[in-house]
Amino acid sequence: PSHSYTGQGGQQSEDYESEEQLQHRILTAALEFVPEHGWTAEAIAEGAKTLGLSVAAAGMFHSDGSELILHFVSECNSKLSELLQKEQKLVQLGEAEKKPIDEFLRDAVEARLRMLIPYIEKWPQALSILLLPRNIPSSLNLLTSMIDDIWHYAGDQSTDFSWYTRRAVLTGIYNTTELVMMQDSSPGFEDTWRFLENRVADAMAMSSTASQVQSTGEAVVQGLMGAAVTVSKAETSRAVR
Amino acid sequence: VPGGGAPLRPCSTRGAQRGIHKPVIDRIIRVDHAGEFGANRIYAGQMAVLGRSGVGPVIQQMWNQEKEHLKKFNELMVAYRVRPTVLLPFWNVAGFVLGAGSALLGKKGAMACTVAVEESISEHYNNQIRTLIEEDPEKYKELLQVIKQFRDEEQEHHDIGLEHDAEATPAYSVLKTAIQLGCKAAIFLSERI
Repeated sequence: PSHSYTGQGGQQSEDYESEEQLQHRILTAALEFVPEHGWTAEAIAEGAKTLGLSVAAAGMFHSDGSELILHFVSECNSKLSELLQKEQKLVQLGEAEKKPIDEFLRDAVEARLRMLIPYIEKWPQALSILLLPRNIPSSLNLLTSMIDDIWHYAGDQSTDFSWYTRRAVLTGIYNTTELVMMQDSSPGFEDTWRFLENRVADAMAMSSTASQVQSTGEAVVQGLMGAAVTVSKAETSRAVR
Repeated sequence: VPGGGAPLRPCSTRGAQRGIHKPVIDRIIRVDHAGEFGANRIYAGQMAVLGRSGVGPVIQQMWNQEKEHLKKFNELMVAYRVRPTVLLPFWNVAGFVLGAGSALLGKKGAMACTVAVEESISEHYNNQIRTLIEEDPEKYKELLQVIKQFRDEEQEHHDIGLEHDAEATPAYSVLKTAIQLGCKAAIFLSERI
């Protein structure tokens, strides 16, 4: 099916570009100017200038920089996916060891958060914009698919309710670590990575406790059933006598 | 794409990687998984009450087939990266209660429940087969094959139920209608949440 902006015969010329692709290029170029101008129309205008476009191109976007931030998040998520996919291939080819789950989750979250480092000064501003009601559907969508991606490459194959609990727990870990990172002034963000390690360890302990509680509960129930059967048998044999 | 509109959406690119219409497949697999899970629990409930009766082996055999169905959908769910319905814990309990409850009405009651549920499921699978064929029978060949096979097996269960005097249950049509309404609601909800 040919779209409205292709030529006759549905052929696309070599330097044809869709509006979405153009916006993508402008926003990518704009990222370079974020540390200086923040997530603003100025950054977008500067980005457009480097592409040889008029600064009026910034008018294509909202003035609060929402699309720039969402674009950045989306790009980071894609980079993370590629990274995890590459690692998975190495493991499949036998060229790398399969990581234990806690290490995998820690490394994935750390890799993703490290992408914020060049923009960390302006990131708190971005977080508040992502929480605007208008942006919540998109930002939530991006967050949930990123968390789902991490679990997928971690080898999660759950098809029961734990599918939800795992993702909820990891989302909590990611969000709290991100907030800690905003306040962290230690060299190389070592306080943040230590916080992350502790939270992941907590989550692992919690899940093993949960399964212990379940097996204990099952054992208790079986014990009670056995006791009930014994007592009822004793009653019937006494009644017969 | 509207100007200043939505950014790149990862979900649509993931579907594009496999060339499938992800939202449609998502729903289909999620609701079918929920259905087979529920059917398993229904037969478990029936066995808990009627397991040692004469009709026990028949129910057990149908239950075994449902277990195979659930196993297949677990695999498909992981392969297509579909999320399960949030309502699984609820279907866990509701299915068991329905199975046990219908079995407490006697062997005929259990069979009536089986007839009602299997009829709903067969109709539901037929709708899905139609949807997939309308979309692209070639692209969804494997999924279509699975659903067609399962539909045939559910139809068999339905017929077995009838053979075992399901229709002789007191208040059969009331029971059947109530159960089928419940199934429709379960299908509607599991597709969406």
